[in-house]
Amino acid sequence: MKRNLISMNDLTFDEIDKYLSLAQQVDSLPPEEKLALLKGRILAVLFYEPSTRTRLSFESAMYRLGGNVLGFSESFSTSVAKGESLADTVRTIEQYADVMVIRHPRDGAARLAADCTRIPVINAGDGTNQHPTQTLLDLLTIRKLFGHIDGLSIAFAGDLKYSRTVHSLIQALLKFKNVSFTLVSPESLRLPAYLKPPPPSSAFRETSDILDAIHSCDLVYMTRIQKERFADLVEFEKVKNSYCIDAAMLASAPDHLRVLHPLPRVNEIATSVDTTPHAAYFQQVGAGVAIRQAVLLDLLEVRT
Amino acid sequence: MNSKTQMLIPKIERGIVIDHVPAGMGPKVLDLIRSFPGMDSVVVTLALNCVSTKLGKKDLLKLDIPEFPPSLLDRISLVAPGVTIKRISNFVVDKKYKIEPPERIENLARCRNPNCVTNTEPSVPTAFVRLDKTSRSFRCEHCERVFLLDELAR
Repeated sequence: MKRNLISMNDLTFDEIDKYLSLAQQVDSLPPEEKLALLKGRILAVLFYEPSTRTRLSFESAMYRLGGNVLGFSESFSTSVAKGESLADTVRTIEQYADVMVIRHPRDGAARLAADCTRIPVINAGDGTNQHPTQTLLDLLTIRKLFGHIDGLSIAFAGDLKYSRTVHSLIQALLKFKNVSFTLVSPESLRLPAYLKPPPPSSAFRETSDILDAIHSCDLVYMTRIQKERFADLVEFEKVKNSYCIDAAMLASAPDHLRVLHPLPRVNEIATSVDTTPHAAYFQQVGAGVAIRQAVLLDLLEVRT
Repeated sequence: MNSKTQMLIPKIERGIVIDHVPAGMGPKVLDLIRSFPGMDSVVVTLALNCVSTKLGKKDLLKLDIPEFPPSLLDRISLVAPGVTIKRISNFVVDKKYKIEPPERIENLARCRNPNCVTNTEPSVPTAFVRLDKTSRSFRCEHCERVFLLDELAR
C-alpha cells in the first residue's frame, strides 16, 4: 500500500527517528552512489504558493538521487487558472510521475491530494496546518547541534498562530521526552489551544518577553510574522515588528543557546546575529536536501 | 412524566419516542427529522419544557413510525447526543437505547475552519474523528483543527 507524508500527527516517534537516521546515512554516501538510487523516477512538484528553499531542495534532492523533476511553481500558468479542481489536477499529474510534492494555501490540501491518487504524496506546506519535511530537518538540525532532543527547553517566538512550521514542530517535539516549551508571541498570534496538550500538562509557558526566552532556553525558534496570512493589513501593521533579536540582545545569552528560523526572515533576526556562534539557521537550511532525500527514498521504497 | 403532562402528551400505542432531549433542542431535532428524506409527512408530536427528574426540564418527540432510520440517528447524535430512543409497541416500551456521539462523523457537518480545503474545493466529503472515548472534541481529518461537537452541529 502506498504511503504519504502529510502530517507529523501521522508519524510515531520510531518513524521520525528512522527518517533522521536515514537522512544522516544518505548524506554520508558518495555522490556517484546516490545518483543510482532514483534513476528513472520522476518527482512532480505542485507549488500553489511561493517557495525558495522547500521547492529547490526537493528538486536538488531528486536530481542528486538520479531522478527527474517536473511540475509548476505558479499555478496561474496551469489549468488551475481555468478553474480546475485540486483533485482533477492531482489525478492528471499522477499519470506523469512516481511521487508528488504539494504546497497549497488551504489547510488539508495535501491530505485531499493523497486521497485522490495512487502515488505517494508529500506535504510541503498546507495553509497554516503542517510542514512535515521542514519539521524533520528542524529535528535533524537540533539533534546535530545538541546531540539529543529529549529534555531540551525550546522557545518559539513570533507568529505562533498561523505558522505551520511551528505547529508541525511542536506536535513532533511532544513525542520526545521532557521537552519544555516557552511561547513568545503577541496576544493576537498565540498558539491555538488545540495544539497544546490538555491540562495538567505543564510543558508550556507563555511570555511576551523575548529576553526571558533568550536567557532561559537552549534554543529559540524564530518565525516571520506572515503578512500573507492576514485578511486585515491593519492587524498586520500592529504586530509586524513585535519580536526582533540582534547581536546585542544575545551578548548576555548562555553560550550554548542556538537560534533557528525556517526562513525566509524579514527583520526578526538582525544580520548582526549571523556571525555570532548562536546563529544556526543556515546550518538548518543545509539539512533540507538530506531529509527530503530520505523521505523520497522511503516513500518510493528504495533501500540504500 | 406526571399525570398533568400525560394529559397533554398522551401515550401512544406504537411508534418512536425521542426522550431526554435537552430543553430547547426539541425544535432543532424536529427540523432535522422533517428535512430527512421521506420524513416530511410523518405525524410528530413535540413537547417542550416537560418536567424531568434527570434534566430538570426536557423536550420530547413522538413519531408515528415503526423504526428510526439509522442515518437519521447519526444526525440527531450531532445536535443532541445523549437522548434516549424508545420503540413503543402496544403502549409499552419494547426497545430502548441511548444515542452517543459517534466516533466518526462523515458528511454530516461542515468544517468550521474557513480555510479548510473541504470548504474551498468542490464536492470534498468531510470527516471528523472523536479525540477519545470521553471527549466531545473532534478533529477534522483534512485541516486537523479540533472542534467541539456543538460547533459542528451549528
